[in-house]
Amino acid sequence: MEPESKKPNYAIPVAIIIAGVLIAAGVLMRNNPSIIWAGFSSQVEGNGAIGVENLDLLQPVVAQDHILGNPDAAVKVIEYADFECPYCKGFDVTMQRIMSEYGKDGRVAWIYRHFPLDQIHTKARREAVASECTAELGGQQAFWRFANRFYELTPSNDQTDIVTVLPQIARELGLNESQFASCLTSGKYDKHIEENYQNAIAIGGTGTPWNIIVAPNGKKYSLAGGQPYSAVRALIDIALQQK
Amino acid sequence: MRNLVGIFKSPPYLSFMLGTSFAMFASAVLLPNRALLVSLWTDPSIPLGDKITVPMSILGSIATNFSLLSASYVVVIAVLAGINAGLIVSLLRSGRPVWAGSSAGVVGIFSGILGIGCAACGSLILTAILGTTLGASIITVLPLRGGELGILGVVLLGAATYLLARQITKPLVCEITNTNI
Repeated sequence: MEPESKKPNYAIPVAIIIAGVLIAAGVLMRNNPSIIWAGFSSQVEGNGAIGVENLDLLQPVVAQDHILGNPDAAVKVIEYADFECPYCKGFDVTMQRIMSEYGKDGRVAWIYRHFPLDQIHTKARREAVASECTAELGGQQAFWRFANRFYELTPSNDQTDIVTVLPQIARELGLNESQFASCLTSGKYDKHIEENYQNAIAIGGTGTPWNIIVAPNGKKYSLAGGQPYSAVRALIDIALQQK
Repeated sequence: MRNLVGIFKSPPYLSFMLGTSFAMFASAVLLPNRALLVSLWTDPSIPLGDKITVPMSILGSIATNFSLLSASYVVVIAVLAGINAGLIVSLLRSGRPVWAGSSAGVVGIFSGILGIGCAACGSLILTAILGTTLGASIITVLPLRGGELGILGVVLLGAATYLLARQITKPLVCEITNTNI
């Protein structure tokens, strides 16, 4: 005698329907968050919807950007970063390795932009201001030395003692400490950092590090997260072929 | 119990489970860069080798782009999802009911996927769906910054595996349908 199941088996069709509804809702909200989260989408300036990639809205690289390497390099790696993000810290090491391989002969330039995630890293925006003040008082070289030293000294995830660390780095870099302190509270870089942040979101950034690799023909590739050296190198090699 | 061991020893089932686990793992790790992968795969000017090299390299981000907690539950969820899929197929083929186990498994997988992160700071799947501001706001009130969803996924998938395994090991008997007789 064959065993009989008492309950009809609706599990698979129900699961498929639930999965479909969830995926559809996710796609809908992702493509047009204003439908459900109208209040939140209004926080983005420009034409980009939250989390939707639109790399055409990427702000072009200008002389005021923080550029390491040849400003006219064939390939540009634009990193939107948060000083309290541990993955940005790891990616900083990856990019230094990339620059030692591709930067020496001027093939690749590294551009650093700010994307402080205030909700999870309350100190990141102040640290971004400190990096701008460093650039103002010590030049572009000092900016990159600040970034490297900051990542070396700090534990990430909003655990940084900025009252101690920021003046310490300023001292190490030979900056005028009183000018540095007054720059920190001046508010003069708030607009610039906010513009960086808004541009990161407008082009589809949802976290850090958020990287855009620009090929010689202008084609853009996004690379989310602190990816390993092999992934960054593979993408740069592809970009170098796009002439 | 012998039925259960038989499933794990059967090469087709084992391959299916490993394949499902790998697919689940790869989806979780590659998900944050889906736009990049689509743009590479649809570009005819990019050689096939490069189209494969990039995603394979990005799989390495499990070591560079995930916290220890999130990397752990990505791996555990992938393994459990593979086992669940194998058990469900086995139950369906034998005509046994799969209701409780598969439901818990599906919810577990979804919970796990929602909790996947931190694939880049703040970039949980939750953030991708809800937007950076709202997603990050939700993350801040969770002690494990969204890791709770991943842990819930592991628990649900574990329960699903248990329920499915129990169903498989249950002897096939004619059950009494009305105890009042």
